[in-house]
Amino acid sequence: MAMDRDRRRVEAFLPLRLVEFHILLSLAAGERHGYGMIQDAIARGETSAPDVGTLYRALARMAEQGLIRAADRRKAPDADDERRNYYRITPLGSRVARAEAARLATLTRAAMVGGLLPEGAL
Amino acid sequence: MNAQRWLDVSERWIRFLVRLYPVDFREEMGGALVEAYRDRCRVALREGARFALFGVWLRALFDSVRNGLGERVRPAAPWRRGGNWGRDMELATRRLVRAPVFALAMIGTLGIGLGAFAVVYAFVHKVLIAPLPYERPDDLYFVWRDYGPIVELNRGWLGGTDVAELQKVGGVIEDAAGMLRGRLTLSGRDGRDATEISVIATSPNLFELLGVRPALGRGFAPDEVGPGRPAVAVLTHELWNGLGADPSIIGTEIRLNDEPYTVIGVMPRRFTFVRSAGVGAPQRADAYTTLSVNLAETNPMAGSYAGLIRARPGSSAETVGEAVDAVGKGIDERDFESLGLKLYAIGLKPDLVASVRPALVVLGLAGVFLLLVLMVNLATLLVARASQREQEFAVSRALGASPIALARGTLVEGGMLGLMGGVAGALVAVWGTRVAVALAPTDLPRRDSIAVDPGIGAVVVGVGVLLGLLAATLPAAWAARAPLSSLLSNASVRGGGGQGRMRRGMVVVQVALSLVLLSTGGLVVRSFERLLRVDPGFDPDGVLTFRVPMPSQRFPEATDALALQDRLQVELAALPGVDAVSAASALPLSTDASQTNIEIPGAPGNTGDLDHDRPLVDYIGIRAEFVGVMGIRMLAGRMFDSARREGVREALIDRVLADHFFPAGNPIGTKLPFRDDTLMIVGVVQQPRLYDVHQDSRGQLFIRAEDWGYRTLSFVLRSDRDPRALIPFVRSVARRIDPQLALAEVRTMDEIVADALSQQRISAVLIAGFALGALLLAAMGLFGVVSGSVLRRRHELAVRLALGAEPRRVRRLVIGEGVRLVLIGVLIGAPGVYGAGRAIRGVLVGVSPSDPTTLIGVALGLTAIAVAACYVPARRVSRIDPARSLRQE
Repeated sequence: MAMDRDRRRVEAFLPLRLVEFHILLSLAAGERHGYGMIQDAIARGETSAPDVGTLYRALARMAEQGLIRAADRRKAPDADDERRNYYRITPLGSRVARAEAARLATLTRAAMVGGLLPEGAL
Repeated sequence: MNAQRWLDVSERWIRFLVRLYPVDFREEMGGALVEAYRDRCRVALREGARFALFGVWLRALFDSVRNGLGERVRPAAPWRRGGNWGRDMELATRRLVRAPVFALAMIGTLGIGLGAFAVVYAFVHKVLIAPLPYERPDDLYFVWRDYGPIVELNRGWLGGTDVAELQKVGGVIEDAAGMLRGRLTLSGRDGRDATEISVIATSPNLFELLGVRPALGRGFAPDEVGPGRPAVAVLTHELWNGLGADPSIIGTEIRLNDEPYTVIGVMPRRFTFVRSAGVGAPQRADAYTTLSVNLAETNPMAGSYAGLIRARPGSSAETVGEAVDAVGKGIDERDFESLGLKLYAIGLKPDLVASVRPALVVLGLAGVFLLLVLMVNLATLLVARASQREQEFAVSRALGASPIALARGTLVEGGMLGLMGGVAGALVAVWGTRVAVALAPTDLPRRDSIAVDPGIGAVVVGVGVLLGLLAATLPAAWAARAPLSSLLSNASVRGGGGQGRMRRGMVVVQVALSLVLLSTGGLVVRSFERLLRVDPGFDPDGVLTFRVPMPSQRFPEATDALALQDRLQVELAALPGVDAVSAASALPLSTDASQTNIEIPGAPGNTGDLDHDRPLVDYIGIRAEFVGVMGIRMLAGRMFDSARREGVREALIDRVLADHFFPAGNPIGTKLPFRDDTLMIVGVVQQPRLYDVHQDSRGQLFIRAEDWGYRTLSFVLRSDRDPRALIPFVRSVARRIDPQLALAEVRTMDEIVADALSQQRISAVLIAGFALGALLLAAMGLFGVVSGSVLRRRHELAVRLALGAEPRRVRRLVIGEGVRLVLIGVLIGAPGVYGAGRAIRGVLVGVSPSDPTTLIGVALGLTAIAVAACYVPARRVSRIDPARSLRQE
């Protein structure tokens, strides 16, 4: 029962918007500030990296939903040591990110079976 | 232009764009947004020089338009529009902890005000509004006889034949029941004294008609009625408890008036039924049995049955009224030669609460007024608080806090205080209701069920929160709307301006409301005081009373009862401390007397008009010396002596009858036909009032109880010490004479008088309490305003003092400001006083609703208190040290 409710709660977030998945993906590796996440997305080869406004609106919404949490404000080594607001992923956020990744993997596998992707592309 | 300069320009551009976002998003995310864009610009500068920077600027423009406007239409978190309540609450708590006096004043005000309100609400709700514990109670009606021109009686009981007719008629009248009530002696058993209980003898369908089933055993079977019926009884839960609460009581026997009855059922705990009475309080019962007569065979002229009918579901009161009226017409033709008898129906609840309704409505109105005063007072407190916080407001707004957020903070504060005050109010209510029920008249309908239940508690807490929010609305609106500049400039001289005007306005409103409440309270209290001082026609001090039932089953011969009464009178009179003993068939204020029409042929007051010459009178059987023991004033002639003269039946009449029949002449010695005999009038007395303490009712005729075979009498003992101390001796005398004698309703005459006044007493106490509460609240409000104004005008006052103004004159200036507010309030309240006076006219006795003494007294009192409330803060003026005060500014 409790597990069912948990799963339902996680699944209610799926599918994630692209910007949300990028955020969770960045935070899964550790605490990060806003602009850092955009840079991560670009580094992942994302052709249309999220705009700053889009990103911050997503951050606000996800903090509200309990997927992420504001961490402390501290110096950012990659931005001339100026202080930045850092974010951290919550356990719920991790579960949602894993569920989304699994969903995408299933889709990719289906694409392979359907011949859209070469075998072994994963 | 170097890189840093370009960055600064970029930042300014971004900051401008960020304004496209809604304020609450900007508050939280704005800074980070700007930082992120600056990082972006820095990277662009580093990599692609100025050209790339312009790209970022353009991109930022599109981004901000899209997301900024998007955020306005669809906020990231929908409830953020309403603000961060959790944080607001935390802040409000912290603020309140830092201002304990303010918080306590608010909670105390709310607690007392709401508590008082809830007590009234509990009464009004339980007595007037809450449904009776019967099935579809709105379809139940009592039916009454209106004798119209036949006898002067418009609320008379039904004849048994009327009930039989109602049972037969069908149509909208589903069923009908007729009820008698008697007081029967329940024989003592298992070492218990014999007691008198009240028993309703009813048609067997009563419980089905009410839709209630016994909790134990069964109800009456349809054939358990009429002559030779099996003697069966159903007990109330209370009586069953009193008999030991033994479930195996079903099938056993109890003795009522020495006759055996089989107990067949016990009613549920919450069941109560009262037989509405033509005069006096509704009558409760301890047990039920069935009628030993056949209703259709009773004498149609005698009205002695309370008639209860159940209408078909969904019938309107009008259709029921028409049906009952039609039945009445038939009865009038058949039994009353079409003289004009009418039957009419009144809903069960309206009928039961009719007598207390006016008083409860007045109380309810007073409660609403108190609530208004309370609300205004709360608002005053909160505005005062807001003015203390205005500096904080001003600074917050200067730093960019949104007005909405500030208003929200104030609202949260009000709501929290309201919640705590509501909880305090609920506690006060629970306790207050207990006290009030103890004060309430014992005959108040459904008195036992009056208590603050969780539902009322929830209403109190809810009203508390609502009041808190409402009271915070004004200051919240003020905080949100006041222009920034005015806040800042006002803050520099500490307050004043618009909110000062608002506070003064609220004090005026408060004074006006208090005046209305106070004048109402004054009138009700004065009316009660009049009642207490009224002469009821007898002297209740030092008189003990109790009824000694002598059922005919135990005393078949009237002479046996008379012998026992003689013996009781002699032996009780011999008790130490007893001055004199007598007895009567009905005590003053008992409404127990019987009525008949009398005529005195040849009396000088006769007019020839039959209605006038055959008036309906109360007649009461009294034993020798009753007039003396009760302290009833003799106006002429003599009272009954212990010696009786053979062949002469003596009578006393009261002044009402004397004035009626002998406006000028002397009634002593006149003969008066009564039943099949003739009475001789030997004296005239002041009327000992039977119904209302404060006014004479129909005339009274006193006959000698010894002459007319009365069995059950109420004994009265006059003592020079506390009459209650006599009770154990009286009981032992009764036990010695006859162990199966029950003593019923052992009370002092003072208690009887107090009971008769208890409805007025509770109204007076509650309304006086409300009025004092309102006065206190108004005084507190005034105190707050004046002391605030002294604080605010410290600078100005200091200048005046420094320029040589006498402290006394400055003080007068400050007091003058307060008094002006009070006078305006009194003027505004005056029409309200007039309206309230008209509304409560019905409950006033001996006081006109525009009684000048009361009203002027109240206005003066209010002004005096108000001046005192101004004087205290005004004294602070003398403590202003001009030099220091001016240096501080």
